[in-house]
Amino acid sequence: MTYLPALIESVPELWKGLLLTLRLVAVSAPAGLAVGIVLGLTQVYGNLFFGGLAAGFQLTVRGVPLIVQLFILYYGLPHVGITMTPFVAATLGFTLCSGAYHSQYIRGAILSIPDGQMDAGRAMGMGLLQTVRSIILPQVFRRALPGCSNEIVYLIKYSSLAYLVTLVDLTGQGRLIAYESFRFLETFFVVGLVYLVLVTLATSVLRAIERRLHIPPA
Amino acid sequence: MVWNALPTFFRGAAVTLALAVSSVAVGMLLGIPIGIGHVCASRPVRTMLWSFDRVFRGFPAIVLLFLAFFGASGLPGVRIPPFAAVVIALGLRSAAYQGQIYRGALAMVERGQVEAARALGFSMPRTMWHVQLPQAARFSLPSLSNEYSVVLKDTALAFTVGVVDLMSRAKFLAMRSREILAAYLLVAVFYFVLTYAGIGLFRLVERSVAIPGLGRHGTRRIG
Repeated sequence: MTYLPALIESVPELWKGLLLTLRLVAVSAPAGLAVGIVLGLTQVYGNLFFGGLAAGFQLTVRGVPLIVQLFILYYGLPHVGITMTPFVAATLGFTLCSGAYHSQYIRGAILSIPDGQMDAGRAMGMGLLQTVRSIILPQVFRRALPGCSNEIVYLIKYSSLAYLVTLVDLTGQGRLIAYESFRFLETFFVVGLVYLVLVTLATSVLRAIERRLHIPPA
Repeated sequence: MVWNALPTFFRGAAVTLALAVSSVAVGMLLGIPIGIGHVCASRPVRTMLWSFDRVFRGFPAIVLLFLAFFGASGLPGVRIPPFAAVVIALGLRSAAYQGQIYRGALAMVERGQVEAARALGFSMPRTMWHVQLPQAARFSLPSLSNEYSVVLKDTALAFTVGVVDLMSRAKFLAMRSREILAAYLLVAVFYFVLTYAGIGLFRLVERSVAIPGLGRHGTRRIG
């Protein structure tokens, strides 16, 4: 346990990294969910062109590693004159990627709702958007939530890729500390534990939301 | 310039595929006993499996990779080559996820079938081997296909510990040719093809081992 003093010394740095990780997740988790809802709705209700576009986008993003997407956004796009800060590139990458995965759960949930509900809504004189918003989406959201929760948990873990586009997040700080102290095993284990705590907290919060939103069967 | 790099990309793709297949295989070899353990091991063993599960599903892949490569190399007398480090990290992680897959698949086999087998005089291991596993294996195929696609994409992190896989070929090309965008778009196409070719292969296997009438919902219909 000779490592303990060095570890306590590095707490402020880890804390700074943790804050950056939290900022990355706090921006990309809700944004990703929003993208996922739009993509999911477009795939089900969109016309051939937009529906196909959404499906193609979702399929492409899910077929390519997130790190490749981040490299395209951060290192590749400046080549055609589009530059962004590392933080914007990372959050954009995380948002698009988790949006693509969310859209699968949203789409599945929409398809699981009986057609009759849409027909009933339309027969009552509600518009397509209105029916979707007040009848379909509230149910879809509840059915898709377990899958989407998983996706948010994945996002927390994959936010660690941010260090590969020069951001010094929790993993990035861990690397710096490990290289300075040559204590790779202990440092990365502690970093991993912090992610584990984040993931566990997120899971229990999301489960609580699921329970809160649950509608008991009639 | 970019097209000239195609042969090196194909060599990189072979390494990437080898990483993914080995990791999924390690995950399966360990994941099946883990899944069975989740269902029917004694309490202390289940607690151990639970903590294994927490760590390997709760740590990011890159942290596990660093632990396996840099971490283990810090121990006296231990030297793990990059390729092995990736297979250990992603393989153990996949074992945790596959353990959950097989646990779920075993739970889908109807309880009555186990009781019937026991009543016919099958021992517990024989019931597992002849009744539960053949069905659970089929139920687990769709999730396994998903697991392959996750592991394949995570092997793209192998370049961080120096494996010369598809991703590091793309990095070389981006550096050398200055065609950065083209290099990464090309590697994206390679990963895309590997992902969906694998998923297609799993579909094919699923279809060829399917038993008519036995489906995710068919279990109940038969019983």
